[in-house]
Amino acid sequence: MKTYIVQRLLIALLTLLGMSMVIFVLLRLAPGDIVDILFATAGYISPSEKQAIMKELGIDRPYVIQYLDWLHQIVTGDLGKSYRYDLPAWEVIRPLVPVTLELAALSMVFAVLLGLPAGVVSAVRQDTTLDYLLRVFSLAGLAMPSFWLGMVIILGLVTWLAWIPPLTYVSPTKDLKLHAIQFLLPALAVGYRSSALIMRITRSSLLEVMREDYIRTAWAKGQTGRIVIWRHALKNALLPVVTVIGIEFAFLIGGLVVTETVFNLPGVARFLVQAILWRDYPVVQNLVMFTAIVVILSNLIVDMLYGVLDPRVRYGG
Amino acid sequence: MTRSRALPLLGVLILVFSTLTLATPAQTQTPKSGRTLNIMLREDLSQGFAIHESSTISTVFPAAPCFNNLVQFDPAKPIESTDTIVGDLAEKWSWQDNYRNLVFFLRKNVKWHDGKPFSSKDVKFTFDMLREGPDAPAKLRINPRKDWYANVEAVEAPDPNTVVFRLKRAQPSLLSMLASGYTPIYAAHIPPANYRTTCVGTGPFKVKEWRKGEYLDYAKNPDYFIKGRPYLDGLHYVVIVERGTRTAALQAGQLDVAFPGETTKAAAEQLKKAVPKLVVTPVGTAVTDNIIMNSKKPPFDNPKVRLAVSYAIDRKGLIQAVHQGAGVPGAAMAPRPYGVWGMADKDLLALPGYGQPADMKAKAKKLLAESGVAQPIRVEMVTRAIAVYVDMASFVINELKQVGIDATLKQIETAQWHAMATRGDYQIGANLTGLGVDDPDANLYENFACGSPRNYSFYCDEHVTKMIDQQSQELDPKRRLGIVVTIQKKLEEDAARPVLDHRIDYFTFWPHVKGLVPHHNIYNFARMQDVWSDK
Repeated sequence: MKTYIVQRLLIALLTLLGMSMVIFVLLRLAPGDIVDILFATAGYISPSEKQAIMKELGIDRPYVIQYLDWLHQIVTGDLGKSYRYDLPAWEVIRPLVPVTLELAALSMVFAVLLGLPAGVVSAVRQDTTLDYLLRVFSLAGLAMPSFWLGMVIILGLVTWLAWIPPLTYVSPTKDLKLHAIQFLLPALAVGYRSSALIMRITRSSLLEVMREDYIRTAWAKGQTGRIVIWRHALKNALLPVVTVIGIEFAFLIGGLVVTETVFNLPGVARFLVQAILWRDYPVVQNLVMFTAIVVILSNLIVDMLYGVLDPRVRYGG
Repeated sequence: MTRSRALPLLGVLILVFSTLTLATPAQTQTPKSGRTLNIMLREDLSQGFAIHESSTISTVFPAAPCFNNLVQFDPAKPIESTDTIVGDLAEKWSWQDNYRNLVFFLRKNVKWHDGKPFSSKDVKFTFDMLREGPDAPAKLRINPRKDWYANVEAVEAPDPNTVVFRLKRAQPSLLSMLASGYTPIYAAHIPPANYRTTCVGTGPFKVKEWRKGEYLDYAKNPDYFIKGRPYLDGLHYVVIVERGTRTAALQAGQLDVAFPGETTKAAAEQLKKAVPKLVVTPVGTAVTDNIIMNSKKPPFDNPKVRLAVSYAIDRKGLIQAVHQGAGVPGAAMAPRPYGVWGMADKDLLALPGYGQPADMKAKAKKLLAESGVAQPIRVEMVTRAIAVYVDMASFVINELKQVGIDATLKQIETAQWHAMATRGDYQIGANLTGLGVDDPDANLYENFACGSPRNYSFYCDEHVTKMIDQQSQELDPKRRLGIVVTIQKKLEEDAARPVLDHRIDYFTFWPHVKGLVPHHNIYNFARMQDVWSDK
């Protein structure tokens, strides 16, 4: 097990190195740089002044040097300086991370709480009215993009209640109730879509397992429905569901752009878009690396969970 | 006066008085102190508080409460002109030596937010830095308004409360430029770069916290030099990137004040329908839609093709179709009542593109036929990849198609836009131009003078340049207006940069916000010194 984790972590390091190259190159391929943006906000451009600022920011150096410099910064824990804000990048990024992690986690909690039971009920009551209703509900979740749902929620609230959730981040230590209200609606909007996916995977996976011989044997032994479904069938049907949950969580870390924007939550994804528009390389590079690390870790955790859920899975050296 | 004659007169006086009282309730109410206003921002501060390194409302609007100018446009009057300029850090001023010297007498006992005393040295420091004088003690990283001070020969500080601007020649406009929101005074003891992250000003509000990309909080400056001001305890600027959310926040009352230039006519109508008590004020924005044509590149090196483009575009049609009526036709300077230097309606009607659309298009076709350029003319129209630009460009492309100019649209990212336009790396473009102050010097030198970096069309006419200099030195306002009108007419006839319209903003706030008078220029009413809340 330990050897397996070490192997996976080494592979993860290689993957991150590859990612760093891709991020670095893609950012430089985008037209324009921070200096062009600065001049755009000033409404003119001066080639000589541009050169001076590029030198000041260190983006006049060869790309290889800039790349190695960034890697060195990562290794030493110094994420460089935000070009836009003239502050250490970490200082800019730090407050964003908990917001996104919380929103993603809360969304996944909603998704699992809604999707898993619905999937089980839908499979157990296959081809009944309830099954059809749940399938329509889940299809609707897949069909409605969360940003659209978010906007509809906001417009609905303001039209009918003349109220919307707070638009400035409320810390849980300051006002837990208001904080919960602020996160509840976006988490529901995002979680609904993910729940639809989880529901459909749970249903199909459970239906497949329910046809297995050992389930028939369990029924024949006179086990109750609850034990057959929840202990024997669901445990084996959960493997693909856990995979989907892991992928969804990783996706949400970088994929909450529009939801964070619509609900005005100061998270990683919303900030990332602004940083890209400003070509704020230190912030963008490090935020994308952060997302990559979360994706890799999520996958690792999912793989570890396989062993817990299925005793047949063994991690070789 | 007999009693029978006096009574009607008294009645009229009472009626006038009551009308005035009803019309301006805010002025008759006693301002209340306290409360924090929630104000909309559509994006984070572009350059922090470094107004001198920026040309965007996204910097000026939220940064202005931290600063003071030498003079300012009267916050209570929406129209801005030299007649509405009032003192700010300067108590009095005086033109001397036939408008060659401008002397300011500064307020005493003014303190910077860090407690250090303000003096004439700070004023000299600011303007030496802006004009990049030979002995300037500091240099700005980016200096977009250096040209405003090209005529300043020296700034002297003979004593702590007096500043003298010595000019190379008379320039009455200088005072207007000093009153612009773009002309705050920086502290001499603070490096200019520091203003990108924090703010040490003399203004009515002190920066409390700036959470990047999220909000900016100000607290009342207890040591402000005007006793009893500001009325508000604080200002809370909230960054909301999504337009729909911004509007919802205003409607729900989470925001008290909208962002200048943000509320379209359609949005204002929707807001007013949902919340009838909202205060919506149509004001000029000092932003024009215009067409830039590269006079160095074919086919726009041909004056007849340029003029044909100007004739082809139906200004009124554009205002209706693109802005739902939220615009006014005008040449380079904003027309009345939004500005004081614009052309009269009757003069505008004689200009290309202002007559009957069918007649104008026929004239455009005739000009194209006379130009000798092979038809149909195929060109690439560039515009910024922002909705307000693209909407306008799409309308223009359709208009051009009707006269035989086949234009394809190319959207340019903001990062590339100014560099591309300055290099002249385009044929024709749909552009927006904002003016920091309604003054011919600020506009004409910047956008139409030979060699100016923002003269994107590369228009150059020696006679026009001479007239620009002439109006700049003219001391008689009426004669100056005459010259400015002649220049505008010539610019439109030459299709130097055809102006399509002047945009109107439907500035919106809640009725409990008092003392906030939106100006016909989005850049110059953000100080919040006299604003109070009646909630």
